[in-house]
This record gives sequence, structure tokens and C-alpha cells, in this order.
Amino acid sequence: MTDALETLRHDVRAWLEANAPKDWRAACTTHEAFLQTQRDWFAKLVEGGYAVPHWPAEWPGGGQGLAEQKVLYEELARADTPRLLLSFMSTYHAASTLFEWGSAEQQARYIPRILEGEIWCQGFSEPGAGSDLAAVRTRAERRGDVYVVNGQKLWSTMGQFADKCLLLVRTSTDGVKQAGLTYLLLDLKAKGVTARPIHQIHGDEEFAELFLDDVEIPVEDRLGAEGQGWAVAQSTLSSERGLTLLELSARMRGALWRLADLIRENGRESDAGVLRDFGRLASRIDAACAIADQFLANRIAGLERVGDASLVKLTYSRTLREFTSLGLRLGGLETQYHEPIIFGGGMETGNWMADFMNSYAWTIAGGSDEVQRNIIAERLLGMPREPKTWTLAGDAA
Amino acid sequence: MSTERAELRDAARKAFSAGGLAPAFDASWNTVAEMGALMMAVPEELGGLGLDREASGAIHTELGRTLAPGPAIAQMLVIEALVAADGLAERQDLLDRAMAGEVMTASLARADAWGSLTAVPDADRASHLLIVRAGHISLAPLEGAEITLRETWDKTRRLFEVRPTGDGLVLAQGDAATALAQQLEAQMLFALAGDSLGGADAILELTIEYLGTRRQFDRPLALFQALKHRVADMKTWLSAAEALFWNRAADNTAGLQELGALKAHATSVYRAIAEDAVQLHGGIGLTMEHHCHLFLKRATLNNALGGDADHWEEQAGRRALEKAVA
Repeated sequence: MTDALETLRHDVRAWLEANAPKDWRAACTTHEAFLQTQRDWFAKLVEGGYAVPHWPAEWPGGGQGLAEQKVLYEELARADTPRLLLSFMSTYHAASTLFEWGSAEQQARYIPRILEGEIWCQGFSEPGAGSDLAAVRTRAERRGDVYVVNGQKLWSTMGQFADKCLLLVRTSTDGVKQAGLTYLLLDLKAKGVTARPIHQIHGDEEFAELFLDDVEIPVEDRLGAEGQGWAVAQSTLSSERGLTLLELSARMRGALWRLADLIRENGRESDAGVLRDFGRLASRIDAACAIADQFLANRIAGLERVGDASLVKLTYSRTLREFTSLGLRLGGLETQYHEPIIFGGGMETGNWMADFMNSYAWTIAGGSDEVQRNIIAERLLGMPREPKTWTLAGDAA
Repeated sequence: MSTERAELRDAARKAFSAGGLAPAFDASWNTVAEMGALMMAVPEELGGLGLDREASGAIHTELGRTLAPGPAIAQMLVIEALVAADGLAERQDLLDRAMAGEVMTASLARADAWGSLTAVPDADRASHLLIVRAGHISLAPLEGAEITLRETWDKTRRLFEVRPTGDGLVLAQGDAATALAQQLEAQMLFALAGDSLGGADAILELTIEYLGTRRQFDRPLALFQALKHRVADMKTWLSAAEALFWNRAADNTAGLQELGALKAHATSVYRAIAEDAVQLHGGIGLTMEHHCHLFLKRATLNNALGGDADHWEEQAGRRALEKAVA
């Protein structure tokens, strides 16, 4: 670690001690309180110059490298601040895509508003396009100066609270399915847009379904050329660069005290079996932190291999399942009595049944465990790809 | 990975792989000595190379990868104990001999069981034995000692029970001996973790190769997603364990408890991968002629040496319980 990074760490830590919200989870018992907590914390980070370290240097606090961002996220995890659930997609996914593909005019129109709190969501997944994203069917037809869009989007994080949406649509059905995709910027207040929250099994509503019914999007709100949507979407999907999993792994390590408390409350401090399970989990979390850390170090050094990101994600998702499962097991019958959840409280809130159900978020979202295993096997280990043709049982041969 | 470590790993891999898997003792041990592996942890003023824990990690992973025989782990404990014995007149002479490859050995059982001196590698080839007892560490000549081979399932290692005839040279006593015993135990655990991760990587690589070659139902086994996903899981566990290993290797504050937890984790990963490797090889994996069983046996032995996963996971749990406070 260089002196400059140590200085940065020291500054961030001091700033967080003075500015990070305290006891914020206790307040987040409603959506409204959650939104307020998120907005206030984001505004504070903007003010402190820590909201957009990855943006170009002309922006407040921008011009920082990945190594500096890593320090910032480690410190945010350490301070157990609210995770930036509402604004993350705006500052990372939307901004990074706009910086890479947006015209000067588009950048000037959209980027400053992100710092003022404008919220973006992502409209990629659909009922028929989950793991197979290129199967997007939401249709956009060019009519003069507008695209007329019809279709349905799913799993738009914070979509019901968002102002704008990164929208992947189909403009052509000719050729390979990736080639017919186009990338649009949708104003969610436009006529014909309906956002409906998705009720998750643990009781939160962090995602929305978007229904698009003859929605008109001006052609000037297209990113890249028509038919270039797949390439633009890759920029969006690769924008966060490993920081989230680094932060989440560190938060999981920081949350071990919740399990420790549970063990003490149940008087099982001398139960060798419980201690082993707890010790094994602690080592696995240490390993998850180590691989997330190594991944970023390799990325900074330009040594990342295709598939490395999948190793990190699969390690995290499986370890989180173990963490929450152990809490559920140790908590016993008490975990089965319904307790109100903490909105936006993170992956480890101590509401064990809710945390356990919420942990599926990481084994399914952002490329399911099974998709990660395919990537690892085929792209990192060079095993053969899935055959393109198949026969279903009962089909004529 | 630091450049020096990568260079050292490459050199070690090149040297050790020349003998193939589970090479014969003489050639393998000569290579270990010739490449300076036994000098690495010795300070330069004592004629060594003055390298850190990362360097030793690179050596042990490569020894594990080729299923190398020999007492490298035990001998490095003797060497570390000699380095610590700065009042000993014979120190330089003994160090020189040990660094050159004269076999000196030690028990690889858990520290509190060291009184009985079990699991001593290659005692029949050794001139000296390190004896670690509570508050007392010594180096005894093995001439005339009663040694008994305890044949292990793992044929890449040879373990003995030893009853030494005398105490020999005293290397440390009292608090110094207690501290040194902990340091030696930590070093042994780290070495076993490295050996395990090298072995796990090797058998995983061989398994992937086999799945790509073996054909059934007119296609390579590697095409079946059920098998690919198992391999992907193995690669994931291994990669995370390797990241933890190198993280602890570079962490000077990692002591006995951290390395014990690492050893439990690494040997569990090795065992899981070696177990699944036999299954994925099918019938051939159950035969002596194939190398699969060698990894399985070494993995289970590594698991039992130096205190098993149950012991170290319980310790890790106790420690996490103390540390994890809101």
C-alpha cells in the first residue's frame, strides 16, 4: 500500500467518523424512511467529494483510480454505512455508459443531474430474457423522430423510485439476436410507462416491473447506433468493476458479530459443533474477502482473466447462503416468528429468516450461480461449450 | 502475486516437475537441496537466502503439486529451530549440513502430542530429530534410536514412530521454547496448507484434462453440464483458498490461530477436490495404476497431520466468538 493510499484511507475514515449516519437501520422501517436515508447519505457523499470517485477529474471527487475506489469501499464497509442502493446504478451503470457512449449533449443533459439525486434504473431483463439477455423482445419501432416502445421489463432495481431508465430494446429481428438490439434512455414519467413493485419473498420491494405501452422515446435519447445495443449494454454490465463484491464480502465479515451474539444468547459458546461451524464460516468469509481483494488487485495490475469475476461472485453468493443458513439454524424457532424487515438494511440484518430468503438475491441476480459455473468451466477452464442443437425426450429423432 | 514469488514458483515447478508425479526419493530430495529450498528461511548472515513466508509457500505448493516424497516440511522446522538457537555453538555446522540436504526430521503431529514423537517423516534417513516438549526444545542424534515405520496409505510419504535415546542439544527452554514451539507449529500448518493447495490444483487440472479426453455417448465427458458445474465449483473453492493462502503468507501478523484456520480450510478443499476427482474419473480412478488415489491419500493424510479440521475449526470459532463484538 502506497503512502498516498494510506493518506486517503486516513482521510476517508476521519470523514466517515464525522459524517456517517449512526443507527440508521432502526429508522428504516418504511419505504419512505429508507428513501430519505438513502437520499440524505448520497447528498452527504456528494458534498464530501466521495460519491463519484470513478468519474473524470473535472467532477467533484472524480479522477480516482480503482485502487482509490477500493480504499473508499473498504472504509464504507468498515463504517457500516447504508449501502448506496438507490444511487449506485445512477453513478456507476448510467454514468459509465454515458461517459463511454453518450454524445457531449447527452452527457451535459444527464450527468450533472445524477449528482443532484436523479435516479436511474436498468431495463434489461424481461419475462423471457433472464440469463439469456440477448433474447430481449421489448419492441421499439422508429416513427420519424421517436421510437415507439412496447413490452415488459423485469427486475429493475429501484425501478418504482427511479426517474430514468437504461432501456435495452429490439429494433430488428434479422440476423443474430444480439445484432437487433438498441439502447435507449427512457424517462419514466413518459406517457405509457407503468412501474409496479415486485413483492419479494422476504417482504421487501427492491425491484420493479415496467410495462411499456406505446411509449415514445425521442431518437436523440438513443445511446450508440441502432443495432449497437448489445455492445452498449456490455459497458453498463461491466461498469462496477468488482467493488460491490469487495464491499459485500467485507460487510459479511463485519457482520459476524450477529452470529456471535446469537451463539452467546443461546448459551452455546462451549458447543464444539457450533464453534466448528462458526469457525469454518469465518474462514470461508476470510477466503471470500481474499479473492475479492485479489481480483481487484489483478484488475488494477491488468492481470484479470476472463472468468475471474465469476469466481468472486460464486464464492460470495455461496458464502452468503452459508452465513444466513447458520443464523437461521442457530436462531431456531424464534426465527420463524415474523418480524418486520429493515428496508435497505443490507444482506445481514439479524432478521434471520428474511436474511436467509434475501440471500438468494446473490445466487440468482446478476448472472445466476449456474451461469457463473458455465462461464468458469467454458471460458476460464476451456471446457467445451454447450451444444447448439438438442432433442427433447419424445421428439422424433 | 509478487514477481519474486512468481519467479520462484516457476523455477520450483520446472525443477520438481522433471521427476513426474510422486518421484523417487533420491532425485527429488537432491532437487530440493540443489535449488536452495532448505536455505530459504535462513538469514543471509547464517549462509541462507533470507526469504520470507511467501517464498516457503511457493516451495510447498510446488512440492504438493508433484506429490514429492521426503521430509521437506519437517526439515524446515528443524532449520527454523536451529536459526532461533543463537546461543548454540554447533548451530552453524548443523545449519550448513541441514541446508545441504543432510536429513534432519521432526514430528508432524500436533504440538501437544509431540511428546510421543509420532508421524516423523523419513526417520531412517535422518541424522537428527527435533524434540519439542513443554518448555523444552532439543535436537537429538538419531543414531541408536528405536525407530518404527508406520506404513501409511499415502505411499508418497514415509512416517515413523521414534523413541530417541537421549535429549541431545538444547535449542530453547522456558518461555523461549514455548514461543518457538508455537512458531514451528504455525510454520508446519502453513506448509501443509501450501502442500494441499498445490496438490488440489494438480489433481483438478488432471481431472479437467481427463474429462476432455474421455468419450462416452459419442462426446467428451467435459460436454456434460453436470460434470462441468462440479469442476467449476472445485475451481471456485480452490481459487478462494489460494487467495486466502497468499493473503496469510504476506501477513506478518498471522500467527498460529490464523494459520491453523488456513490449514483446516486448505486441507478440506484438497480433500473435497481429491474425492470428487476419483468420482469424475470413474472406474480408472479406483485403480492403483492411475494417479487419482495418490492425491486422495495425501489429501486425507494432510487433513490428519498437524491437528485436523475439527480441531482448528473449533479454535477458529472460539476466536471469532471473542473477536466478533458489535
